[in-house]
Amino acid sequence: MPGGRVCGACGCAEIEVDAARGDAVCTGCGSVLEDNIIVSEVQFVENSGGGSSAVGQFVSLDGAGKTPTLGGGFHANLGKESRAKTLQNGKRQIHHLGNQLQLNQHCLDTAFNFFKMAVSKHLTRGRKRTHVIAACLYLVCRTEGTPHMLLDLSDLLQVNVYVLGKTFLVLARELCINAPAIDPCLYIPRFAHMLEFGDKNHEVSMTALRLLQRMKRDWMHTGRRPSGLCGAALLVAARMHDFRRTVKEVIRVVKVCESTLRKRLTEFQDTPTSQLTIDEFMKIDLEEECDPPSFTAGQKKLKIQQLEKALSKKLEDFEGEISSYQDEIESELENSRPKAKGVFANFTKDDSIEDNASSILGEEEVEDEELEAAANHLNKDFYDELNEKDRVKRNEDGECRNGNETLVRPPALESLLGPLPTAASLGITESIKECISTKDQEPGENTGDGELDLSGIDDSEIDRYILNEAEAKIKTELWMKENADYLKEQKEKEARIAKEKELGIYKEHKPKKSAKKREPIQASTAGEAIEKMLEQKKISSKINYNVLRDLNSKGSNTPKKEDDSTDDSTNTKKLSRRKSIASRNIANPVNSVGKRLRPLISTQFAKKAATEEVTFPNAQAEASDVEKPAAVLVESGPVAYNPDEEVEEEEVEEDEDHCMSALQLMGGN
Amino acid sequence: MDADSDVALDILITNVVCVFRTRCHLNLRKIALEGANVIYKRDVGKVLMKLRKPRITATIWSSGKVICTGATSEEEAKFGARRLARSLQKLGFQVIFTDFKVVNVLAVCNMPFEIRLPEFTTNNRPHASYEPELHPAVCYRIKSLRATLQIFSTGSITVTGPNVKAVASAVEQIYPFVFESRK
Repeated sequence: MPGGRVCGACGCAEIEVDAARGDAVCTGCGSVLEDNIIVSEVQFVENSGGGSSAVGQFVSLDGAGKTPTLGGGFHANLGKESRAKTLQNGKRQIHHLGNQLQLNQHCLDTAFNFFKMAVSKHLTRGRKRTHVIAACLYLVCRTEGTPHMLLDLSDLLQVNVYVLGKTFLVLARELCINAPAIDPCLYIPRFAHMLEFGDKNHEVSMTALRLLQRMKRDWMHTGRRPSGLCGAALLVAARMHDFRRTVKEVIRVVKVCESTLRKRLTEFQDTPTSQLTIDEFMKIDLEEECDPPSFTAGQKKLKIQQLEKALSKKLEDFEGEISSYQDEIESELENSRPKAKGVFANFTKDDSIEDNASSILGEEEVEDEELEAAANHLNKDFYDELNEKDRVKRNEDGECRNGNETLVRPPALESLLGPLPTAASLGITESIKECISTKDQEPGENTGDGELDLSGIDDSEIDRYILNEAEAKIKTELWMKENADYLKEQKEKEARIAKEKELGIYKEHKPKKSAKKREPIQASTAGEAIEKMLEQKKISSKINYNVLRDLNSKGSNTPKKEDDSTDDSTNTKKLSRRKSIASRNIANPVNSVGKRLRPLISTQFAKKAATEEVTFPNAQAEASDVEKPAAVLVESGPVAYNPDEEVEEEEVEEDEDHCMSALQLMGGN
Repeated sequence: MDADSDVALDILITNVVCVFRTRCHLNLRKIALEGANVIYKRDVGKVLMKLRKPRITATIWSSGKVICTGATSEEEAKFGARRLARSLQKLGFQVIFTDFKVVNVLAVCNMPFEIRLPEFTTNNRPHASYEPELHPAVCYRIKSLRATLQIFSTGSITVTGPNVKAVASAVEQIYPFVFESRK
């Protein structure tokens, strides 16, 4: 029953509707106009066995079948296929996971709805689909109040809980769904069942619930994993009813760590409720509420800190006393030394100072000396000073002037500590500044350009951050040693490349880039640019090139009916002809496209594997090329838009059937 | 619940993160070899340089981009960044100190009372999210300030925001809500 419809491609009104297949086909050109026609009548057909069956096909609700639309809505049509696939896959996975969790059908459907919402908001992009599905399922669990934990889902998927949690939070936020807070009481029946209390299951659960409520009032539950609290409550409840459930058994069911469970138990122990007997607990509810355990822990910490402070103050007092004793002892020792040594001591002291100054101007590590000096000064370490005194004494005994140089460091400290601390330190910094002053001037010129405000920056300190030559050498050595393997590899690689170059086999293995670099297209108009781009790029089966071309070139007669040709799947000759017409029309305005289009067209028809089809447009393209000289965007001329001409050209095509093979044509590239 | 009571609350800024560019290519190897306190992570292509005076850790890339973390105030961050640029200059690179920007400020604040988290979440539904399975604190986001607050049941609050002002105003904003749900 034609119903007054006209075929889009050829314009004939003879349309045959086949109810069995559910198709509407044009008898003139053979294009399928409708697929999966939905009818309200039911027809029966006799089977070979004698029975009768209804005529028609099943079309699924989610558009899993092919549902093409006539003409417009091109993008929606193509997008829907992929979208339908995504949704179908998602649904399958949801059901798979949901069945493992023993969720009922209603929950699964709700989860699928969430998933659809997520897909429409593009939340599945950049995330693993399994994560998104798990998040949808968990969202359903939360809203329905089922006793499923995020941990269960992560166990099933073998994914980190926090990763799932992140996805879940994003999903909940984007979908504006407020998941109600988790109540640990929800988990009790589930865990009780798993712990197998038999007949007394209900009683134990009730006791555990009471315990939980008590815990809530005692502020143990905020910020804690509900499963941990449940575990503790169940353990105590079980014991109360004479069930021997070990900590390990409870842990296996509840999925927390042993230490967590113990901690909860100790916290509960600290509450006054724990002091009640079992009967009392069942009857009485204590009025007072406790502070949360972390709060009390915090208070304890504060107290300990305060105690420590007080202690340290006392210690300081003691230390002060000790140091004063030390000083007294030192002074006495000095006095008790014989005078000759005293003379020598002065001697050595003077020498050390001189040596100190000279050595600093050299290449000593001044910073370390200063640090040591500071450290010693602060610590007032008795033993260090003793040692130094011993060394000094030994030197005096040995009459070493030479030894002074080795002693530069320790006595230098003394000198710093001793009578001339300020002078020495001043001397040090001054000398450094002299050394670096020349350096400063050069970079100083650069700072003008760099807008670097130097106020408050102590250059000398910064220079300490830069190693000098000797240090740089040492560091280079160390670094080389550490990274020796890497450097070896690099050298080997270079050697290999050099060899290959000599042999002429050198292949450059560049890391694969997803986008190939092309020469920039030089075109005078946008239309030209599009055409040249078409040459270079592989033609996609999902783009309507006619429309692209016409964007710029205002071809009024472009038949949009030709659009159908690209998405029909039936493999008829007429179809191929129409496709060839379409591609030929692409070829026509473009001058040198013909040759390039061959590989493009051959990829398009790869699945169809019909070389004849390839030859049609190519031959025609070549012919058209011959016809037209170097015209680029010319729409006039032998460009065929009118359907009349198409008919003629079809006949022409058939003659040029066998001209060339695809290979030959491609070889022309 | 007055704004005056905020003054009594001390907000401690614990971390300020800032970025700046040197507008010149940096040879990481040279910095690594000649710098005194650097860690060269060759696998990721960056150098960590730690300064002592403002306690700052800087991550330096060869493109010239530098990220500075560890400062305790915005001023200190700028100071440290400048020092860092100066030391890079001394190493011989043509450093230009541009595009300095404070990216993130982390602050801690203590309320004198405890907070009931489930109650708080139900009262502040869209902004607050509480997942005890994942994290013991309520995560409260203020979109207008681009600030995130983590509210713990003990009353301590951790705030992160784009600058110190935002952090301060976030604390001020949250105070009345938190006061409602206090223990």
